[in-house]
Amino acid sequence: MTRTEHLSIKGTRDGLVLYLDPNVEFQIVLDELKHYLGESSQFLQGATVRCYAGERGYNAEELQALTSTLASYNLELSGWLKAAEVYGKITRPSDVEREKGDESMAEGNCLFIDRTLRSGNSVQYEGHVVVLGDVNPGAEIISTGNIVVLGALRGVAHAGASGNRLATVSAYHLIPTQLRIADLLTRAPDGEDTWRGPEIARVKEGQLIVEGLAGMTWKGSLR
Amino acid sequence: MGEVIVVTSGKGGVGKTTTSANLGTGLAVAGHKVVLVDTDIGLRNLDVVMGLENRIVYDIVDVTSGNCRLRQALIKDKRFENLFLLPAAQTKDKNAVTPEQMRELSAELKQEFDYAIIDCPAGIEQGFKNAIAGADRAVVVTTPEMSAVRDADRIIGLLEAAELSNPKLIINRIRPQMVKRGDMMDMADILDILAIELLGVVPEDESIIISTNKGEPAVMDHNAKAGEAYRRITRRIRGEQVALMNLDVPEGLMDKLRKLVGLR
Repeated sequence: MTRTEHLSIKGTRDGLVLYLDPNVEFQIVLDELKHYLGESSQFLQGATVRCYAGERGYNAEELQALTSTLASYNLELSGWLKAAEVYGKITRPSDVEREKGDESMAEGNCLFIDRTLRSGNSVQYEGHVVVLGDVNPGAEIISTGNIVVLGALRGVAHAGASGNRLATVSAYHLIPTQLRIADLLTRAPDGEDTWRGPEIARVKEGQLIVEGLAGMTWKGSLR
Repeated sequence: MGEVIVVTSGKGGVGKTTTSANLGTGLAVAGHKVVLVDTDIGLRNLDVVMGLENRIVYDIVDVTSGNCRLRQALIKDKRFENLFLLPAAQTKDKNAVTPEQMRELSAELKQEFDYAIIDCPAGIEQGFKNAIAGADRAVVVTTPEMSAVRDADRIIGLLEAAELSNPKLIINRIRPQMVKRGDMMDMADILDILAIELLGVVPEDESIIISTNKGEPAVMDHNAKAGEAYRRITRRIRGEQVALMNLDVPEGLMDKLRKLVGLR
């Protein structure tokens, strides 16, 4: 998923989905789209696009502008999505369990964040999230998939947010304010923040447990 | 062309105004032409700390709204020819100024001064947005408390979002004795979370309260520890390579006794 301030583009099996921010003026969204397509048209050429803008309706003039903008980059507007099609899948946890359960969370969309998330930052993503940095206290990550932090996880992490208990949270230094997987919740023990090596949190027999990542024979030799 | 430096923190009471006053005075002592800008509209303090309260005629809102010229609102410091204050308005609120007006004001100040030090109000709302709008660099002040560090972290994130990258950190009111006992966060703990460059550490010092009440920045007091810390910070702002202040606590009689008995 690629996102700019007021729009995001996601690739799906049935072509691209373009999410438009329903709360800003159409012209702003259109300008952003032109700018974005101008930079990455090569990559997207020839695809079909479906749009989603929440409950918002656009008038004929605006629709025409959108269609022709997409057309000028060789993209075909093939239809509009309804809220149920966009959110339907993640609001019914049982479906997700059935669909993704067998795949043991090995595949799916992934969001890379190549910076530290500071207090007040919030990331919500449908898929896995990888952070190349720290997650500080006061920051949160909510994902439907796994969460991997290649630094210190000190904030709040919620993996498998749509109800998938197979999701995991792993970090180089796992000391979250609060850690959630699906409907389970735990927090780091008070006053214990010495580094124990990389760790992973997962659900085993209905319990949220934390264990060292397997194969870490060099435990403690870093730092 | 001068430089606009905003002093900010998120949390209130950590020492933004004290830092602004000392930094500005320190730079003026070093011979630079400096203006201090108080953007805490409605809760102005910088004039009091500088001892210039009774000289205010016009303020920042008068300037941005065109009631007076910039020159008329600038107050010359009582000690230094090359140090000026642009006071905040006390009877208006933060919305009386817009970020766009601050950008214009900053550009104007840069023409005339080597450094413009902007004292930012606490919080992350309009006042904060105004204060950072025209800034070239940012200095984040925190104290060794979790709440202050948390807010500093948030502020650093907001500064980065506003493309004011590489803010520098000042850790204020450190109490070396408490750190040594393990009762206070030390520098490493704070830097671990905030991960930005440290500009300086300032020890807790009673002389700050005295100097604030007298309206004479501690940076001029050569007997004050905090004054020494601010002098070093000033030099680092100017780009000099200066070591951080040594905050080691001298070994007390009890420590020596304990060592003698082999308790440590």
